[in-house]
Amino acid sequence: MSGGQAWRGNWRVRLYERVRERGYDSLTAFANARPTASLVALAEELGPDDVVGVQVLNGLLSEAEQRKQVTRFVRDALVREMSECLPDGWPAVLDDANRFKVAKAFGSWIADTPETHKERARQVRTSLLATPPPPGWRPLGPDDELLLSLLPDEEV
Amino acid sequence: MRANSPGARGTGLLLVLALLSNACASLGPPPGRGMSLHYTPREATGRAVGPGRVERDARSSTLAAHVAFLGAVNEVSTSSRHVSSELSRLKASVPGIANAGNDIFVRYVDYGERQQRWIDAELAAATRLAIAASEVEDPDTQLALLRLAGPRLEAAMMGSLLLAVWFDFLNLTDTALSRHFQGVETLFMNMDRVQKMLEPAMTALSSLEPQQVEAAAQDVPALLGHLTGEFSVLREAIRKGAEVLQKALALKEAMEALTLLSALSVSLPRLLPRAGPATLGMSFSVGANGMMMGTRMVVSAEWVEMMRQLVRAGVLSVPAVSAAVRIQAGQVMMAEAHGELPRGVREALGDSPEVRGMHVTGKAGAGMAEPPRHHVMPKEFREWFEKRGFTGEMDIDEFCVRLERAHHEAIHGGGDWRLGRIWPGEWNRMIMEALYEAEITAGRMLMRNEVLDIVAYRMERYGIPMEFTRWRGQ
Repeated sequence: MSGGQAWRGNWRVRLYERVRERGYDSLTAFANARPTASLVALAEELGPDDVVGVQVLNGLLSEAEQRKQVTRFVRDALVREMSECLPDGWPAVLDDANRFKVAKAFGSWIADTPETHKERARQVRTSLLATPPPPGWRPLGPDDELLLSLLPDEEV
Repeated sequence: MRANSPGARGTGLLLVLALLSNACASLGPPPGRGMSLHYTPREATGRAVGPGRVERDARSSTLAAHVAFLGAVNEVSTSSRHVSSELSRLKASVPGIANAGNDIFVRYVDYGERQQRWIDAELAAATRLAIAASEVEDPDTQLALLRLAGPRLEAAMMGSLLLAVWFDFLNLTDTALSRHFQGVETLFMNMDRVQKMLEPAMTALSSLEPQQVEAAAQDVPALLGHLTGEFSVLREAIRKGAEVLQKALALKEAMEALTLLSALSVSLPRLLPRAGPATLGMSFSVGANGMMMGTRMVVSAEWVEMMRQLVRAGVLSVPAVSAAVRIQAGQVMMAEAHGELPRGVREALGDSPEVRGMHVTGKAGAGMAEPPRHHVMPKEFREWFEKRGFTGEMDIDEFCVRLERAHHEAIHGGGDWRLGRIWPGEWNRMIMEALYEAEITAGRMLMRNEVLDIVAYRMERYGIPMEFTRWRGQ
């Protein structure tokens, strides 16, 4: 975790410097090359002391808006949230402990989802809880089949 | 391992039980054991806090801090219980305190018992926080909870050292009263003076305001120096009175029977023959068995190790632990009562630039106002959090963070979250949403440790260091 340095100076400039240093021309390209890495892992790679998850998320959202790929961004965010909260994939049994892990992932994901997509995100949660995916299900990227069926692209 | 699974809770409980049933190294004169403990003062354990460290290391160092914390609580509790039973004995002491001068001395025992009560209350709160820490999974959160309990432990530790001194004065007075070595009025006035000397430190320690506790802790050795002087004068006066009364023999007997509970036993010059403080000119050394002052053991290796863990974890401060060591060493009479311990000794106690840095964090710099504090669990939702167990020492007021300038500017800049800055309104909206949606997903109310888990998770995402401070009502 950062000791507070992450918000000093112009973090956007810093973020893009780091992305370019690593040979990518966009944050999205950097993230796409690591489709299941958690936000913490992405931030850690870009700057263990001065980049934090929400900045990466923010940068990804800005790029997605420009590219009109916000829905894909929302799916991408869920994949990363699941990597962190449910590293072994969807639990076989939704006991109290596992239910909390799922709750933490969805709660966090919905809070980070832009207003335009919040309601759809809530519906995805409802569907997944009502009809659970196979145990161990771990989307490997925003184009995961099940995820795409639950939250298809609408943008042109 | 889930934090709230029965297994994890069982482990936490076992830990507590194991420590409670296992008397830990005592702070007082050296115990005869502890030879097998490997003591390595400069052992590299990596950074106490910081990014990028290996999770496993974090867990094991957090566990070590946890064990040390419970050990320290247990030790202070043991000494506190001892003083407590001794106070009850004095209260019933006939013909001493219990009936001398129309019971006027009983109030001084009562004063001791009042101090006893706050010390016990702090120890109980510190224990509850340690148990709460054992129920969460994230090592950073565990440490944050232990750090939250730090000032309570520090206050109880210093408070009980002072309480033991108070008891020693009472005990000496009791001896003098029961054998009529000195006038009731003189003894009464003397106790009154000592109480006035103790009062400010006791008030500051029981305030729980970390800065006050720390400042008071640092002053305790000097205070003890003055009290040692007082004690020695009183004892001398009693001795002279006894000579006049031809009771020297009885006095000798009485004085020999008098056991001092406090650190006065090391700081006082020997009664007969009289000599200067034995500690002057001697030097500290750190060895395999503990910390030595000349040839005398000051504190055991276990105690040093316990303190080192707590200092490195940021739970106790170097100045407070140093003060405790100086008191045990009887160094309170030395001119440099405000000075520091030798570097080697401080290092053995876990001191390092990083550790010092931890305690400076949050202060914007000399002469500058402290950064504003913000509740990480929004105070507008106090009731919501209370229902989920955030009460008492886990009140949401205990969980404030200082937002530094860069964070803070955003508030005045209009708090546009699109600028990617944190501002309190944005944080509050986000954290409540994450918690509400988690409850909806779980289909039940979240437990306290689960709320804390989510809050810690979001703090990490926002780059808010997990350094909690108390709300001071701005």
